[in-house]
Amino acid sequence: MTQNKNQEEKELKIQEQTQEDIKEEGHQEIVHEVPLYAEPVFHVGHFGITNALLTSWVAVLTIIIIALVLRSKLKEIPKGIQNLFEAIIEGALGLCDQVTNDRNLSIKIFPIAISAFFFILINNWFGILPLSWFGLIEKGEHGLVFVPFLRGGTADINTTLALAISAVIGANIFGVFSIGIWKTFNKYVNLKVLGEIFKKVRKDPTIVLVAPITFFVGLIEIIGELAKVASLSFRLFGNVFAGEVLLVSMAALVAFVVPIPFLFLEIIVGVIQALIFSILLVVYFTIGASDHDHDESHNEHKEHH
Amino acid sequence: MDSIINTFHIDWKIMIAQAFNFGVVFVVLYLFALKPLTKIMKERTEKIEKGINDAKENAEVLSNTKSEYEKVISKAKNEAHEMFQEGKKEAEIKKNQMMEEAKKEVALMIENGKKSLESEKTKMISETKGEIASLAIKMTEKIIGEKLNGTFDEKTMNELNNM
Repeated sequence: MTQNKNQEEKELKIQEQTQEDIKEEGHQEIVHEVPLYAEPVFHVGHFGITNALLTSWVAVLTIIIIALVLRSKLKEIPKGIQNLFEAIIEGALGLCDQVTNDRNLSIKIFPIAISAFFFILINNWFGILPLSWFGLIEKGEHGLVFVPFLRGGTADINTTLALAISAVIGANIFGVFSIGIWKTFNKYVNLKVLGEIFKKVRKDPTIVLVAPITFFVGLIEIIGELAKVASLSFRLFGNVFAGEVLLVSMAALVAFVVPIPFLFLEIIVGVIQALIFSILLVVYFTIGASDHDHDESHNEHKEHH
Repeated sequence: MDSIINTFHIDWKIMIAQAFNFGVVFVVLYLFALKPLTKIMKERTEKIEKGINDAKENAEVLSNTKSEYEKVISKAKNEAHEMFQEGKKEAEIKKNQMMEEAKKEVALMIENGKKSLESEKTKMISETKGEIASLAIKMTEKIIGEKLNGTFDEKTMNELNNM
């Protein structure tokens, strides 16, 4: 906390200095670079509103408007925008089916996956929009720095981390609702298998060796969940951020024509990354809702037969 | 860890704000787009399925009705044909009967005619015989009368011969 406060004070000082500097040295060269983090564009109290957060708000607003327009135009016989969204929903359900192999499960999961898809997609695309060429000029470490008002929301690790943590926690909550809290808990801290040592040791002495391993695997699952958060968040952030850096660099090298193919590339990357995130989200939700014990006992039954 | 947080400017307040944003997107999309849209799509699917099933049923009913109709028609045709044939036979029989009767009647009439002719003939013959007899008697009376009178001659003999 104290660190944060110090940081904020530093930033405030830098801003004050910048304004003075702008007055004094009006002809200094302005650096166009994309820093690793989203910069605050204005403050509400102590809370610095970053350009990425601002973009996300615009994205949310856009999605709300689209949703309301869609809602007002819903009809029995689809037309225009409704057709498009029906096709998207059908496609999304089909993709979900491929992962879950269960229509009912797909219908439960796909609303959250498709929401993540649109949120990430709109945020990715806002990063490409030339609107991000409007901004502030602030004093940075090496002279004046241009700070755009809009920065792709997903080009900020805070956004992707928030999404990834929500996804992983959501998957586990979904698991609790699907298979129960005890089974979800036993996926990580496998008390059940430890208890089975005493029950089954006479029948099957090898369980003394197998059960601790299973228990340890459960503990590794916890690290696995953290790894999911890291991989989800850094993959999305890395791809989108790299895209923005690429676009700025290309624009800096040759301003005309050359960046255009890269713009198209980034449009595609935006879709692909949103798709990857949502599909992984469906995978994690499916894993959360799957019951390992059930499968194993089912297999045992089959073997007995 | 601190270095990561500092490098990326990780800020839990912004993370919460972004998670909230995502939550808003989810709720809005779910309530205004996904829920009503999936409902409409489901209803439409059900409607289409019902329509297809109805069409199948209708086609079945239609084919059943058609076959039944054809059955009835063919049965009616057969019956009509039978009736016609029967009628024809009956007519034939009746015709034959009538012919027979007519023949019989004609034969009877001819017979009767013949009989009456015969009786007439015999009657005439008998009548003629009677007449001849009376005539002969008259003539005999006359001849006898004349002979008695002495006038019975050759002339009278010729008259008798010519008769």
